[in-house]
Amino acid sequence: MKHADADTIAAVATPPGRGGVSIIRISGDKVRRIAEAVLGNLPAPRYATHSVFMNESGAIIDDGVAIFFPGPNSFTGEDVIELQGHGSPVVMDMLLNRVYSLGARPARPGEFSERAFLNDKLDLAQAEAIADLIDSHSEQAARSAMRSLHGEFSQMISALVNGLVELRVYIEAALDFAEEEIDYLANDDVTRRLDALQAQLASVISGARQGSLLREGAVVVIIGEPNVGKSTLLNRLAGREAAIVTEIPGTTRDVLMEDILLDGLPLRIIDTAGLRETDDPVELEGIRRARAELDTASLVLWIADRASRGAETQLIIKTPPVIEKNRPENVPVIKVWNKIDLVNEAAGMRDEEWFISAKTGAGVEVLRDSLKSRLGYHGDAEGVYMARRRHLTALAAAAEALQRASEQLHRDRAGELVAEELRRAQHALTEITGEFTADDLLGEIFSSFCIGK
Amino acid sequence: MDSSTTYDIIVVGGGHAGTEAALAAARMGANTLLLTHNIETIGQMSCNPAIGGIGKGHLVKEIDALGGVMAQAADRGGIQFRILNSRKGPAVRATRAQADRVLYRQAVRRIVEHQPKLSIFQQAVDDLLVEGERVIGVVTQMGLKFRARAVVLTVGTFLGGKIHIGESSYRGGRAGDPPAIALAERLRELPFDVGRLKTGTPPRIDGRSVEYSMLQEQPGDEPTPVFSFLGAAVQRPRQVSCHITYTNSRAHDIINSALDRSPMFSGQIEGTGPRYCPSIEDKIVRFADKDSHQIFIEPEGLDTHEIYPNGISTSLPFDVQTAFVRAIDGFEKAHITRPGYAIEYDYFDPRGLRPSLETQPLKGLFFAGQINGTTGYEEAAAQGLVAGINAARRVQDKEPWSPRRDEAYIGVLIDDLITRGTNEPYRMFTSRAEYRLILREDNADLRLTETGRDLGLVDDERWRHFECKREAIEQEQQRLRDTWARPEIVGTEKAEQVLGAPLTREYRANELLRRPQVSYRALMSLPGLGAGVDDPKVAEQIEIQAKYSGYIDRQHEEIARSLQHEQKKIPMDIDYASVHGLSSEVRQKLDQHRPATIGQAARIAGVTPAAISILLVHLKKRQWLDKKTA
Repeated sequence: MKHADADTIAAVATPPGRGGVSIIRISGDKVRRIAEAVLGNLPAPRYATHSVFMNESGAIIDDGVAIFFPGPNSFTGEDVIELQGHGSPVVMDMLLNRVYSLGARPARPGEFSERAFLNDKLDLAQAEAIADLIDSHSEQAARSAMRSLHGEFSQMISALVNGLVELRVYIEAALDFAEEEIDYLANDDVTRRLDALQAQLASVISGARQGSLLREGAVVVIIGEPNVGKSTLLNRLAGREAAIVTEIPGTTRDVLMEDILLDGLPLRIIDTAGLRETDDPVELEGIRRARAELDTASLVLWIADRASRGAETQLIIKTPPVIEKNRPENVPVIKVWNKIDLVNEAAGMRDEEWFISAKTGAGVEVLRDSLKSRLGYHGDAEGVYMARRRHLTALAAAAEALQRASEQLHRDRAGELVAEELRRAQHALTEITGEFTADDLLGEIFSSFCIGK
Repeated sequence: MDSSTTYDIIVVGGGHAGTEAALAAARMGANTLLLTHNIETIGQMSCNPAIGGIGKGHLVKEIDALGGVMAQAADRGGIQFRILNSRKGPAVRATRAQADRVLYRQAVRRIVEHQPKLSIFQQAVDDLLVEGERVIGVVTQMGLKFRARAVVLTVGTFLGGKIHIGESSYRGGRAGDPPAIALAERLRELPFDVGRLKTGTPPRIDGRSVEYSMLQEQPGDEPTPVFSFLGAAVQRPRQVSCHITYTNSRAHDIINSALDRSPMFSGQIEGTGPRYCPSIEDKIVRFADKDSHQIFIEPEGLDTHEIYPNGISTSLPFDVQTAFVRAIDGFEKAHITRPGYAIEYDYFDPRGLRPSLETQPLKGLFFAGQINGTTGYEEAAAQGLVAGINAARRVQDKEPWSPRRDEAYIGVLIDDLITRGTNEPYRMFTSRAEYRLILREDNADLRLTETGRDLGLVDDERWRHFECKREAIEQEQQRLRDTWARPEIVGTEKAEQVLGAPLTREYRANELLRRPQVSYRALMSLPGLGAGVDDPKVAEQIEIQAKYSGYIDRQHEEIARSLQHEQKKIPMDIDYASVHGLSSEVRQKLDQHRPATIGQAARIAGVTPAAISILLVHLKKRQWLDKKTA
């Protein structure tokens, strides 16, 4: 018998932000429906089919390859489809969002393997490994979620949840304690609170969608003279064409800040080459913003050209005063010699200095690992980014429930349907806030109102 | 001394849990003995004289659907009936009856005495007969031994009961009744986790000393609501009104100045009281900004002048009780007939129970009612029913039965108790039910009568009654699906009047009924839609099901998702230490609760989704190994 988990799960199966291709894997009963909606039709089983990926209005999000594996002959034993796209995190995010809106939910860490095992797709020897996998991944996910909940995002969410609990307390108290004089359903205050909550939630979501919250990762400052290969290195790290690369010095000067994903870790890269003296008002504003970010930098990446300075034993770079002035203090510095391919040196790390060729890729992997460990990040597939993605899905579900609650409240003030929608909204937020039980709710009611016949 | 007769089942206690347990077991064919310390108090309401209310009324209707006695007794003893939340949605509407204590008790007693296969014996129980890990009978106060294959303990607040009034305290099970001390001590020797709870009652007042003209009258509803699905009692007692008054700052001052003499605040009472039913002294301390609290004046019965002032339960010294009561409007000359008191009693951590309410350490021993940490007649009766059913099923070597959370408030109650436990007297509220829109009073019969029939609880009369109703509903629903409202037949004027706007095209009648503002009766008044059904219960059901249909569908989806886990059983002998990958914290929780299904495990606080995944993988592996060795 198939392990009858009725819900459909989806996640990016490749490490995010890396490589030229990203795969979204979807498993469950709704796969066929999702495929038809996203691709326009269901591809032939087990054939790599070229297709466009469409959003709800039929516009093309991306194009790539889709492979449909009907259950039980699939990795998980359920219907599975894999959508292979172009790997840009933004595009993959849009596609994933589309899939979630069609009824899939974000997969828990290790959940594809878990389903595979429960559906007899993996053998017994793998069972222990899966238990470990679930265990370690869930811990990591919890850590990621914690990390993603720092700062502004966290404050907004907890304000939101507090507001929701307060509103539920009013409505549930009115329903369960009809004989106490607390019929708030007839009260305009309830409407006001619900309206405020909806506005609050909408602003959290739109803020997050614009990317600022999703990209609250580490800030890294790149320092180096013109044409030492900063942009090439950046592209290497991000695994995509992040900045324009030419042989002309100063090409990147307009690119002050760049957001990349380093194996799932969002990085905001600030290139100090852009921080130069200028009169251009647009550029000045950009410089002002970049400087503000400098204060939060976690790491400095200092790059020099090995080919032109190979004779020097120490990396002492003459930098224009404006750059020196902007170098953040008390921040770890990673010193990188680039262009080793031109002087035939070996790649790797020696005496706390890194030797690489951004052009050939030699030594970049070592550097990438060093960057991650210096930033205290040991994640693989499940990163802060994915944790936040889940949070956004939860927020969207909560917003829908609040919308329906509002319709119910305006249509008739019977209350129990409003209460049902609010319960659903809170349930959706469980992902972020942890469990909130009926007993917790009753506790809030009893501490807010004097109940007792 | 061994008594000559051996029974299938012994029920200890004749309260609301005990009577439902004994009746259910006997109805299912088990030879049953009801042991009570006093036959005269069978069916006694020891706290306020009312049955039902929000959440509780739901339980009463479910008990009725399963053939229980509570609703019928309330219909015979009820002297004021109301539907609470009548202006809110059907899911939270609830019936509440003020009952005449004597009439209620008599109604229960009559049914108990007429039940075949049920015997009554008056003796307090002092000890359990245990053989290995199973219970085989009980020993009474005078040393009589009764043997049975299952024993249901429903001893209420009598276990180690201690009554407090002011600085004085004494042992007691209920004012005027002795506590069960010997049994409490015996049970404390057995491997159960014991805790202490507290509850309280207000002083009773002689109604002749109350100035009713000062009070606000609260009459019952018209027409008088009915509890039982079998319909109203043929001879309803005379209906009377309740009244409402309020405490005031003068009464509050009196209480405030005497707090040092309150056992609640002096530390004399250790047990935890309910948050939703605080004593008046508690209310005044915790909500100091409120200068007035509501008091419901409930008549104790038709043949007595005593009234029950609901809302001022207290354990203050008697002189303080008298003083603050007389400060209240309408009570200036009040004569107190019985002082209010607080009572502390033993309860057993219900997490040591199986869903059948059988105890985990001792086979054949079932607990129901306040012994499990609940409060309220309805909560007690619900558990008594389930314990009685399962005691009978154990004797008949059948699998235990207990309703799920999505089937009944009874299921919510039992699941909450056994998975989460409780640290205050547990009371039902509708907010405890995640499937509240499905678990309504109006459909309790549709949800449970068929199961009750299969269990052997529902007699022919109730079954015929139910089948008629169900058939009428189904027929009418089918008719509404097949009936079309056509614009030219309905007409503009009628459509505007009933639907708020003219029909733009043809609609099925059931589609129109789903619109929020359209009632069934109004819809039936449209030309071309037929006369509809007369039975108001059938019409109500059709209307509610139509109005809620979207929500009901969604909740059913949710239920379907949760069911796969709900039905996945965890073997009793599972060794959590051998489950690879579980954290030690989760392991400890699972070991303590020993959940029967994956669904229950998931509801235990602190058991994470990841832990559930690991458990599923473990069970699968085990299944695999079993298959190999088989």
